[in-house]
Amino acid sequence: MQEFKESMKALQAAALHPGKTVRLSMRETGREAIGCFPIYTPDEIVYAAGYLPVGMWGGKTQIRLADKYLQGFCCSIMRANMEFGLQGTYDFLKAVIIPAFCDTLKCICENWKVAVPQIPAIPMVYPQNRKLETGFRYLIAELKRVKKEIEGIKGAEISEAELEKAFRIYEEYRAVMRDFVKASAVHPLTVSPVARHLIIKAGFFMDKAKYTALVRGIVEGLQALPEEKCRGVKAVATGLIGEPAELPEIFGENGICIAADDFAQESRQFRVKGREEGSVWEKMAYRTVDQEGCTFLFDEEKPKGRMLIRMTEETGAKAVIVCMMKFCDPEEFDFPVIKEELEAARIPILCLEIDQQMDSFEQIRTRVQSFVEMLNEDVI
Amino acid sequence: MYLGIDIGSSSSKVAILNARKELAATDVVNMGTGTAGPKAALENALRAAGAAREDIKYIVATGYGRINFGEADQQITEISCHAKGVSHLMKDVETVIDIGGQDAKVIKIGKDGKVKNFVMNEKCAAGTGRFLEVMARVLGCRIEELSDLAERSVHDIPISSVCTVFAESEVISRLASGAAREDVAKGAHNAIAKRIMGMCSRVGYEPLLAMTGGVALNRNMVKLMGIELGQPVIAAPYPQAVGAIGAAVFAYEKSERAAERAAEA
Repeated sequence: MQEFKESMKALQAAALHPGKTVRLSMRETGREAIGCFPIYTPDEIVYAAGYLPVGMWGGKTQIRLADKYLQGFCCSIMRANMEFGLQGTYDFLKAVIIPAFCDTLKCICENWKVAVPQIPAIPMVYPQNRKLETGFRYLIAELKRVKKEIEGIKGAEISEAELEKAFRIYEEYRAVMRDFVKASAVHPLTVSPVARHLIIKAGFFMDKAKYTALVRGIVEGLQALPEEKCRGVKAVATGLIGEPAELPEIFGENGICIAADDFAQESRQFRVKGREEGSVWEKMAYRTVDQEGCTFLFDEEKPKGRMLIRMTEETGAKAVIVCMMKFCDPEEFDFPVIKEELEAARIPILCLEIDQQMDSFEQIRTRVQSFVEMLNEDVI
Repeated sequence: MYLGIDIGSSSSKVAILNARKELAATDVVNMGTGTAGPKAALENALRAAGAAREDIKYIVATGYGRINFGEADQQITEISCHAKGVSHLMKDVETVIDIGGQDAKVIKIGKDGKVKNFVMNEKCAAGTGRFLEVMARVLGCRIEELSDLAERSVHDIPISSVCTVFAESEVISRLASGAAREDVAKGAHNAIAKRIMGMCSRVGYEPLLAMTGGVALNRNMVKLMGIELGQPVIAAPYPQAVGAIGAAVFAYEKSERAAERAAEA
C-alpha cells in the first residue's frame, strides 16, 4: 500500500529537479539525451535511436541572455529554453528537435542555430492540413526526415523493428497515463493537483519504460483504494501548462480537484491512442491526425469548447479553469470561442493569466479563492 | 460584536458590527499590508465602537494581506466581501466596480450579495488607484485634489496609454506641449473609465452599478465611469470600508450560524 505512495513522492521529486533526474536516467540507461521542444515531437524515433528524449518545457530561471533573441513579449517557456541554451545548461544534449507550432517556435529554430551552435537543431514542421491525405503524407515524410537527421547524429540507422518496439513502449506509457488521470480524478485527496501535475511532468525526464512501470504501480495502488469525494470544486483545467508548481498548489489549498485536464504539457501528450492498423509511420502520423481540441493543431471546426463541455459533463466537474500563458497567441485566439460556448452551456470559467517566471501569486490566489467562494457557498 | 478587517496594498480598513448587525464603527488607515496599518485601524475602530478586543466574537480578514493576519477566525477574499458589503449597505445593486490601490475588480452580484461572476485586472497598475496617484504627482497636486482639477477641464485630451509607466511619459509630453493640467487630469480619469469599461464588458454588467474602493472617493471618476458605461454609477457609502463591512457581515453570519448549530446540538 505504501509502496505506491513512495513512487508518488519519488516522481514529484524527479519533476522538481529535472537536471538531476535526466542525468540519473542517462546513467541508469546508458543513453545520451536529445531535447524535445513543446508541443509534440516524435519521441519514439529518439527512443528507437537509443537516446533519452527529454521534454524541454522551460523552467524557472532569471532571464538575462535570452532577451537578445526573444523579447519580453515572447512565451516564457521559450525564453527559458533559450536562456538555458545560452547558459550552457543543455550542453549535455546531443541535439534538440524544434517543431514549428507557433510564431515563437518558428523563430527560435533559426535563433537556436546561431545562439546555441554547439547543440544541433532538428526542425520539424507539422502540417497545417493534417486531416487531408496530402498533409498526412507530408507528416510521414517529415517524420522520416527527422529519423534521418537523428541517424546522422547517431552514425547508424534506426531499424523498423527498433521503431516499432519504441512505439509500443510509448503506447503503453500513454495507456498507463490515461489510467493515471482517471484514477487521480476519483482520488483527489491522495493525488492533490500539484502531485498530479508533478507526477505527469516527471515523465519528460525519465526513461519511459521505467517511468511507465512506476506510474502503473501508482495506478494499481489508487485503484485499490476506495474512491474519495472532492470536498471543494471539481474542475476541468486547460491551457498550455498548469505551472509553476505554485499554481496547482493554490488549487489544492482552495479545495479544487482536477477532474480532467486538457493541458498541452499533460493529457494532450497521451490522450490519443494510436491506431491498430497501418505501418508504424502511419500510426505515428495518425496520432497527430486524431488529436482533437488542441490549440496548436489546426481545426477549422474549433471543437475545443465542445470538448471541454463534454469533459465537464463526463467527469461531473462544475467549472473550467483556463491557464492562459501570457503572450501565447494560439491559446488567446481560441479563448473567445471557448468562452462563448462554455458560457452558453452555463459552465463557470476562471481564466488565469500565467507566466512561467512569475514569482508573485497573490492575485492568482485571490482569483482562485474567490472562484471557489462563488461556486461553493459552504466555504464562506 | 463582529469585526471585519480589509488589509489592502496601500490601506487597512476595519468595520465592526453590533449584535443587531448594525455598523458600530469603521476606520481607515492609509498603510497597508506589512505595516503598522492593520493594528492601528483595529485599535481605532475598537475605540470608536467603545469596545474591547474581548467583545469581538468573530473576525473575518480580507484583502491582499488577509492570509498574514493571524487573529482572524476566517479569511475570505475581497471579491466576496465587497459583494457582501455592498449588498448590506445598498439595495438593488447588481454590479460592483471596486478600484483599490493596486487592483481593480468588477463583480456581478445576486441576491444576498452572492457573487455571480467577477473579473480582476492582471498584474499591472493600469486602471487602479496607483495610476491616479502617479498622475497626481506628475500634475503637481494631491490625490484628493485630482477630481476637482479634472472637473475644471474644458477640452478633452485623450491619454491613450493605460499602462501607468507609459501614461506618465505621455502626460509629461502633453504638459510639455502646452496642454492644460485640468484637461490632462480629465484625460487620466477617462483612461481609467475606458479600462474599467473593458472589464465590465468582459464580465457583463447590469444596473444598478455601485463603486467601491478608494477611487470611489473621487467624484469625477464616479461621474465619468457612469458616462462611459451609459448607466448611472453611484459611490457606495463608506467606499473604502465596504470590503471590511462585508467581512464583518460574514463574521456576524458565521457566528450566528455557529450559535444556531450549537443550539440545535
